[in-house]
Amino acid sequence: MDMNAYLSMFIDESNDHLQALNDNLMRLENDPEDISIVQDIFRSAHTLKGMSATMGYEDLASLTHEMENVLDLVRNNKLKMDSFIFDTLFKGLDALEKMVQDIVEGGTGKADVSAIVADLVKIVKGDYATDTSATASVTSASGKTNNSGGILDQFQSSVLKQSIESGHQVFYVKVTLTESCVLKAARSYMVFDVLENSGEIVKSEPSVEELEQEKFDRSFTVFTISQISSDEIVSKINKISEIESVEVSLLDEDSLAALSYSDTPTTKNSLSESTELTSSKAPSPVAQVDEKKNVKQGSQAAVANRTIRVDIERLDSLMNLFSEMLIDRVRLEQLASEIKRNDLSETIEHMARVSSDLQNIVLKLRMVPVDTVFNRFPRMIRDLAKSMDKKIDLVITGADTELDRTVIDEIGDPLVHLLRNSVDHGIETTSERIAAGKSETGTVHLRAFHSGNHVFIEVEEDGKGINKDKILEKAISKGIVKPEDASKLSDDEIHMLIFAAGFSTADVISDISGRGVGLDVVRTKITSLGGNVAVTSVQGKGTKFSVQLPLTLSIISAMLIKLGDEKYAVPLSSIVETAIIPKSSILSVHGNPMIKFRNAVIPLISLSNLFDSTSFNEQLEDEHEIIVIHKGEKWAAIIIDEFIGQSEIVLKSLGKYMKNISGISGATILGDGQVALIIDPNALIK
Amino acid sequence: MAEELKVIVFGLGNEEYGIEVDKVKTIERMSPITRVPKTPSFIKGVINLRGIVVPVLNLSGRFNLPETEATEHTRIIVVVVNDMEVGFIVDAANDVIDIDTSTIDSPPEIVGGIQAKYLDGIAKIGEDRLLIMLNLTEVLNRSELVQLEQIEV
Repeated sequence: MDMNAYLSMFIDESNDHLQALNDNLMRLENDPEDISIVQDIFRSAHTLKGMSATMGYEDLASLTHEMENVLDLVRNNKLKMDSFIFDTLFKGLDALEKMVQDIVEGGTGKADVSAIVADLVKIVKGDYATDTSATASVTSASGKTNNSGGILDQFQSSVLKQSIESGHQVFYVKVTLTESCVLKAARSYMVFDVLENSGEIVKSEPSVEELEQEKFDRSFTVFTISQISSDEIVSKINKISEIESVEVSLLDEDSLAALSYSDTPTTKNSLSESTELTSSKAPSPVAQVDEKKNVKQGSQAAVANRTIRVDIERLDSLMNLFSEMLIDRVRLEQLASEIKRNDLSETIEHMARVSSDLQNIVLKLRMVPVDTVFNRFPRMIRDLAKSMDKKIDLVITGADTELDRTVIDEIGDPLVHLLRNSVDHGIETTSERIAAGKSETGTVHLRAFHSGNHVFIEVEEDGKGINKDKILEKAISKGIVKPEDASKLSDDEIHMLIFAAGFSTADVISDISGRGVGLDVVRTKITSLGGNVAVTSVQGKGTKFSVQLPLTLSIISAMLIKLGDEKYAVPLSSIVETAIIPKSSILSVHGNPMIKFRNAVIPLISLSNLFDSTSFNEQLEDEHEIIVIHKGEKWAAIIIDEFIGQSEIVLKSLGKYMKNISGISGATILGDGQVALIIDPNALIK
Repeated sequence: MAEELKVIVFGLGNEEYGIEVDKVKTIERMSPITRVPKTPSFIKGVINLRGIVVPVLNLSGRFNLPETEATEHTRIIVVVVNDMEVGFIVDAANDVIDIDTSTIDSPPEIVGGIQAKYLDGIAKIGEDRLLIMLNLTEVLNRSELVQLEQIEV
């Protein structure tokens, strides 16, 4: 089998499982008593193990296996989770992530995980845990017996073996449904229900998922550990209608060994496919509810998986091809209007409608929920909080808000910075919080929401807030602010100083408690994405970072303008107003042209001068078309030649060779195939 | 055993130049160029190359040689070097030939007004034909670009 063909699938699915493991471990940490979460974790780990083994990544498989052993004890109530176990499991998870990352980068996925494995084994052995009797028997499960093929995999058979050794009864149950049975899945579920009420199911053939989907003929088999006799099992199952026959046989070690090592080729499949649906031994109603929940989740997962993964580069080239087609469409429209044939015009009109629908779909394909970035933060906050000995709740809202994939890819690092900053310097230590009369646990809110053509992401905490006097002091000493200007600054302006480049040096950290570490980098990144970041803070109450991002980097609304025979685009988001003003209304302040606009005097910029325009000079005109643009609170007006109109434009980069052209942020291709440059209003306003 | 090198031959002024064929993405006829303000004069602007915006240089201008008028033979050779896609305006691009790497001599100090660092060498083809091999990495060296003027408002 050519493994490469499955490699990308393996990587994608591994990442999904790792993320699920991460999320569920975090959930479990908040609610250590909830065994159903352990079941979820166990299932992810188990699938991951099976996948890795199939792909030949032995280190991955064996580490997962050790983790599974620990989890198995937990889900069987033989081991109580505590912080050591959590830490070890998280460490294991990190190692797994690194290994998968190595595989992504073309490596072999090998890593030295002996320390973590030793810890895991220690936990299983109970060297560290209290309940040694319960754990001792399972240790042998971690023994390095190979998967030698059989109905039961190594893990399942060892569980059964130990059960027999410790005096439990292990049954092999074969249930056959009547030929007329209508709801086979429901019947099998009822059988499972009965068996679980009196014991534990270790393995079923076909797997639970297949049973749920009715992918079996009339009979299925189950390995179960039970406290009741075989007769009782038979009578209980027979009470369910539409059951034709029930065979129950009690297994001993020999027969079990035969089953485990018989040479049937199903191991690989059962290893990866069968998700054991086991529940705790106690037939408590809670356990049953969990079971039902699990079943439901199983079927939901089947629906959620009806998606395909597409390489982002393919989407990009789809996008490029599409914009080419748009250009041809415009050309066709022009030709049709010259030729003036009705049926041709109608066809092209129809094509126009289809292609605009197509455009919407292509754009939507690129939208990804911010969840893909957010999901790594809970773990990060947990680790940060732990290492700083703070108590922190991370509250995430709006994780389903969608953003263009290109934005998503870029936004992760800036958010990490902001969150770190909030935890590190915003939230106080537990003792400080109590002293300040606050609750022990600090809260960090991470919100995402749509607003108009933008997405906002906010990071807000209820920590100590920014000490503006210290910031101001530092800014003056660093020469960022002149002392005489200091009193004129508003609170928000002072807070924004933490984004200034000079604030990110090491010696500042201690002085102003580190506010501003790397924040200039954050701002640079976000501005380069066409976004904006703002900070508001109330001393003693907390700080809020608000990041504004464009919905997509690839398409924006713009005003197309002419400057002689050259065409330019101005992003609509920076335009306040367009107007026509008489030449006489231009004022002169220190020789600089200004105009009055809404009770303010704003600078007037000559675009033709700025761009050395050869075919347009506004000096020859009596009236000027102007566009009032803004950068934050600052306004300016630019003189142009002519308005063409508003249009959705596809953003194109000018390429590596031409980066950093001042006043130009990129280019777009117009309907006639010509390139038009996009004016960067931010560069025009100082 | 001498190695063969496949090169695209193009004309610029009275000289013939060569670029390794694997660095050339495509050769295009002249198309409308959009001027980009605030760039050195040898950067003619950008073109739309099937949906991708590509900057176009006038190679003569880049070497401080007199620029020639576009004719029907004028071509844009689009090269890819260090992830940068750039088009060169050349007077004509008309040949693909194999040259023997052993016939390439290191460049003399000054050749036709072009500084030696832009050249990889001179290849002799046949009796009297000389081919100037360009060092594209150096030709496209960004750090050497004239410092762009800052916009004064």
